[in-house]
Amino acid sequence: MYRCLIVLSCLALATATRPLAAQSTVTGIRNLDFGPVIRGVPSSVSPNDPIRSGRFYVKHIINRQVQVQFTLPTRLNRVAGGGNMPITFATTDAVAKGTAPTSNPVTFNPNTTITFTLTSSADFFINLGGRVSPAAGQATGAYAGTITLTCTFF
Amino acid sequence: MRTTTRVSAALVAILSLAASTAQAQSANITATAVVFQAMTVTGARTLDFGNVFPGVAKTIAVAAATSGRFDLTGQNSANVNVSFTLPANLTSGANNLPIGTWTGCTNATNTTTGCTSFTPSASTTSTAFSGVGALFVWVGGTVTPGGAQAAGTYNGTVTLTAAYF
Repeated sequence: MYRCLIVLSCLALATATRPLAAQSTVTGIRNLDFGPVIRGVPSSVSPNDPIRSGRFYVKHIINRQVQVQFTLPTRLNRVAGGGNMPITFATTDAVAKGTAPTSNPVTFNPNTTITFTLTSSADFFINLGGRVSPAAGQATGAYAGTITLTCTFF
Repeated sequence: MRTTTRVSAALVAILSLAASTAQAQSANITATAVVFQAMTVTGARTLDFGNVFPGVAKTIAVAAATSGRFDLTGQNSANVNVSFTLPANLTSGANNLPIGTWTGCTNATNTTTGCTSFTPSASTTSTAFSGVGALFVWVGGTVTPGGAQAAGTYNGTVTLTAAYF
């Protein structure tokens, strides 16, 4: 009897922990690409831009909650060195939308933490826009910065 | 019997702990931009048909001395899209002189020799600046005066719009 219970407890623990580990994921699937920008001319990308907006895919469990939090750069660094360029994110620069046909897009502020309850689909996309402001004397060349999305699955 | 109770209690505690544990994951993407120098577009030469006569169409080829020309400067070797707003008629007061059959050519140097032909239109044409940031665009066309075309000086505006891509 004792041995039997020990085996059962191990199986139960494995069953209880597997869904979060196996089913809950966050994946970066598209970079936020401002493309060519001109010195002295601010340039924005809408979160609804199907090509240039950044995009993450989040998968969890229906009727469960997931908290999302961005770590956003304030500057993009010149890849070849020698400069950086301001980047900002407005309060409407993030949009989450479930994959179910009935899912409605939710616009939110990427600068704050938000928690979603997955009521219509177990997975969703988050699109991210932003704005860069090159100075009039900005050094030409490629600039880059890292955007991190952290999801806490409940 | 006492042993069984203790193990069961431990099982409940383990399951409760597992159910209440939140799990965090992170993923990254990159924000990218390429800074270019500002572009300039200059209407360098007017497309000039000179004298035309009623009922006689006249064409100016891109290689002609009186073709239109735009001079552009921009980021070295950068890709650029050009598009046009083109008149359907040249006008002289209330009189119209039809213009069409547009022709175009681009080159990295200021010569039509070896230039790349295209058809100017509102749709974009993709080209590129030279290694020193130069681009030249020539425009030709055909005017078709009617048999009773009113005499006068006719004008129209050709606009070139350029954008990096």
